[in-house]
Amino acid sequence: MTPFLKRLNAAAKGKVLAIQDYFTLAWKALRFTFSRPFYGSDLVQQMDVIGVQSLGIVLLTGFFTGMVLALQSSVQLKTFGATIYIGRLVAGSMIRELGPVLAGLMVAGRVGSGIAAQLGSMKVTEQIDALNTLGTDPIKKLVTPRVLAALLMLPMLTIINDFVGILGGSIIANIYLGLPSSLYWRTVWEQIASGGFTMRYIPNDFIQGLTKPFVFGGLIAVTGCYFGLSTTGGTEGVGISTTRTVVTSSILILVVDYFMTQVLLAFFS
Amino acid sequence: MIDDETKDGVPAPLQEGSKRRPKRRYDDARRSEEVASVRRAIRYELDPEDDDDAEPVREPVIELDNISLAFDEPILKEVSFVAREGETIVVVGESGTGKSTILKLILRLLVPDQGRVSIDGEDISHLSFEEALKVRQKMGMVFQGAALFDSMTVFENIAYPVREHTNLGEDEVEARVREKLEFVDLEPDKVMQQFPSELSGGMRKRVGVARGMANNPEIMLYDEPTSGLDPLTTGTITRLIMKLQRELGVTSVVVSHDIRSAFRMATKVALLSERHIAFFGTPEEMTGSDNTYIRDFLGGT
Repeated sequence: MTPFLKRLNAAAKGKVLAIQDYFTLAWKALRFTFSRPFYGSDLVQQMDVIGVQSLGIVLLTGFFTGMVLALQSSVQLKTFGATIYIGRLVAGSMIRELGPVLAGLMVAGRVGSGIAAQLGSMKVTEQIDALNTLGTDPIKKLVTPRVLAALLMLPMLTIINDFVGILGGSIIANIYLGLPSSLYWRTVWEQIASGGFTMRYIPNDFIQGLTKPFVFGGLIAVTGCYFGLSTTGGTEGVGISTTRTVVTSSILILVVDYFMTQVLLAFFS
Repeated sequence: MIDDETKDGVPAPLQEGSKRRPKRRYDDARRSEEVASVRRAIRYELDPEDDDDAEPVREPVIELDNISLAFDEPILKEVSFVAREGETIVVVGESGTGKSTILKLILRLLVPDQGRVSIDGEDISHLSFEEALKVRQKMGMVFQGAALFDSMTVFENIAYPVREHTNLGEDEVEARVREKLEFVDLEPDKVMQQFPSELSGGMRKRVGVARGMANNPEIMLYDEPTSGLDPLTTGTITRLIMKLQRELGVTSVVVSHDIRSAFRMATKVALLSERHIAFFGTPEEMTGSDNTYIRDFLGGT
């Protein structure tokens, strides 16, 4: 019994410590945003890697998700003779849920794994130690630019994702249901307006739909950096860190999404 | 094995120490350049050939005082030694005896559980992270695998510490990089725009040395500088370390298991065994020792 309890104790302690480390890393990364020296060129480079270079997969997933959404719902809506609402349905689900979550999952797979692999191999080849000995804080030089870039770029990617998704839906609505696109886009706007406005002009749906990717961006970058920097055990370790990053950040995105939705719904409806 | 000299260099507590010696600050690159050139001139006057000349009592630069460190199991136990100005200490010992840990302690990448590490008389064990970054600017480190940043060119690698800690203009940075590359016998125009992955192991090590010395540090640390290199390149790197000591007067700590090159460059050898220092003294004293472990260690290599 005692050895079992001891092991349980050690495991629990390890987990708690890991969570503490994770939040410390996130906190440091954000705190360093406002202290010198600034690594501006690293930030721009990371915005390119995380944002611009993810555009392709985000466009593709968004477009096809919007299309399949319209296709599936057209069958259902036809039975009720309610095909006119297809724009509302696509826009509602894309802006509030699918846009942020899918963009988040795609970026977690593409960018999170990249961050973990890069920082992990820097760790095992002693480049992180080298940064330290050359008088640079690795968190400031490597983590802060990545976290900031992800925080800024994921909402942008989500906007694009939402738009091409709704566009894909309009094409399907037009082809399969013969719905004129002017009518489709009017119902899209009706859906957005039905959520109400904050400060008269900002649709509540947009606030909901953009708070999420902001948080997801931070989650992805911090998770990638955390597992990357805690890599041990050579090239094999790098592989393990990469896998853990993708799994952990995907799960975190889905779980956090649920709780955020509950909170946001309480505020905005 | 550590003589009484350790005691007269005992540093005052941190704050007092930094008040007492305000001139010994870190980013004073010019100072160390001047000192080095004067020292070089004096050395040459005294004896142009021999680098083993007897100088008056030199100041302790690195002091390890009764260091103990354990992670899951003990790694170092009551380890002490002193490196004086211009000396090269080679730490030898079997694999896995915590040799590299000593370098990490000097760099304050690790903090000892017990004991004190002092650089220039200043206790660095209790410094904050930011203060430690400053102390590290006095040191240049050459990693086992060179640890060059593989996303940067050779030029950017060597320029990195210069850009990070000085306000030199781009022309001066380039001049500095060229000077360092020439020092390590690499042709600047050939290698500057190459990436680390395009270089051979020996060249990568030399770029690592150039990067380590880019800000003219007073201390150079080497982690297994000759491991994984062929005998010829081993000779080149050994000579390079000796050249750094001879021409720039830097204090060096070399961690190695290559006894032959260790004896060539060492002012003193520290033999690490069973987590503590089994021997500390000159190479001659070591070869003359009749301790069985030392004999076995020397015989075994």
